[in-house]
Formats: sequence, C-alpha cells, structure tokens
Amino acid sequence: MVEGVPQNGGYMVAAYIVAAAILVGYALSLYRRPRR
Amino acid sequence: MTLIQKGRVVSLVGLVLLGAVYVRALAFTPTEATQGLAQKIYYIHVPAAVWAETSMILIGLASIFFLFLGDPRLDRFAEASAQVGAVFAAVVLTTGPIWGKPIWGTWWTWDARLTLTLLLFFIYLGYLVMRGAVTDVGLRARYSAVLGICGLLLVPFIHFSVLMFRTLHPQPIVLKPSAPSLPGVMLVTLLLSFGVFTILYIGFVMQTYALALAHEAGSDG
Repeated sequence: MVEGVPQNGGYMVAAYIVAAAILVGYALSLYRRPRR
Repeated sequence: MTLIQKGRVVSLVGLVLLGAVYVRALAFTPTEATQGLAQKIYYIHVPAAVWAETSMILIGLASIFFLFLGDPRLDRFAEASAQVGAVFAAVVLTTGPIWGKPIWGTWWTWDARLTLTLLLFFIYLGYLVMRGAVTDVGLRARYSAVLGICGLLLVPFIHFSVLMFRTLHPQPIVLKPSAPSLPGVMLVTLLLSFGVFTILYIGFVMQTYALALAHEAGSDG
C-alpha cells in the first residue's frame, strides 16, 4: 500500500457496478423487447 | 443475419470488452497518487460522457438533414441515438457523483458542467417522452427534429463550460488543443474504454433502429 494514497476503493467499485448494471440492464431490455 | 441480430452480437462483444477494460483499469493501470482508486472511475465516466454528447451531436445533425430531406431513416436513427444517449448520460450522472463524493467532499454541486449535463439528460428524456406522446408520424418527426437541434446547440456549452465558468469540475485533460496531460498507460486504458463505448453505442443503436423499423412495419400492417 502506497503511503498517503487515499483509501477510497469502495467508491470505485460502486461506480463500476452501477455503470455495468445500467449498460447490461439496457442490453437485456433490448433483448426482451421483441418478445413482448 | 438480421439487423437486430447483428446489433445483439455487436452489443455482446462490447459488454465482454467492457469486462476486459475493467480488468485492465483495475489490475494493469497504476493508481493515481492524489485521488487514489477513485480516479479509476475516470475510465468509464469520461467515455460515457463523450458518447452522451456525441450522441446528441449525431441527433442534431440527423435532425437538420431530416428537415431538408424528409428521409424517415434519419428520424429513426435520431430516435435510436436518443435512447442510447440517455443511457450513457445516466452512466455519467451516476458515476460522476460517486467520484465527486471522495474527491470534492460532496455528491453534487450546481456548477455549470454538472447542471448542463443534467439538462442534457432532461433533453434526452423530454425527446423520448415527446416521441411517445405525439401519435402523428409527420408531426412527431418534425417536433423531434427541432428538439434534437436544440440539444445539438447545448453540447458546445457543456464541453466549454469548464473554461467559460468557474467550476469545481476539472478542465479537459485529453480533449484539448495541447497534448493530453495523462501518462501513456492511463491514456491507453482511456482510449480502449472509449473504443468499447463506441462499440456499445453502435450495437445498441443497431438494435433500437431495428426495433423501431419492426414497430413501424407492425403499425402499417
């Protein structure tokens, strides 16, 4: 661990999960749309 | 292979490559010394922002040409691009505050860049809601084109807002007249991510365009 580097990895993980959820969610919604 | 199937394949490739970008950003890109791991949000926030704005530029250009040519393919493309642009704007407006909290100490501030990006998202939503509300095809296309051109006019203000106003948001470090002020390995990760978001944009637009086409064919039949 580098001394002095802020410990804020949780925010990075949250942002990556949120972005993936939005993009995968939209892809799934497009996949399901023709079946309605 | 139909257009929607091609779009699905392109989108799937984009999502898989997004996973690869995550791995590269987390494991093979150095941590920035002053911001820590939160700086790595940059690799998804910035490409999403660039495509949220580019998407609106393409809508505006398609709208201008639609008003002159009356080609329904341009209107259909603008609608598809608006859906995808709204999704990318949602990525920007969620990852931005998550980055802002540890770095600025606040989730949100009403500075020019953030406020104008929120306005861009509302224009996307308004565009899509309006398309759903107007049933006359010709009127819907013309109203949409006017709103799309308004959205196009907003984009330069978003990009240059950090130069025109005193803002908390940092100034561009890649899209600027001088060379990017970003170490090479970080720049490569950013460019790879931008490429992946480009693939996602193309795949999503292909699918949305094909769905609109199928919907029109169903309505006509």
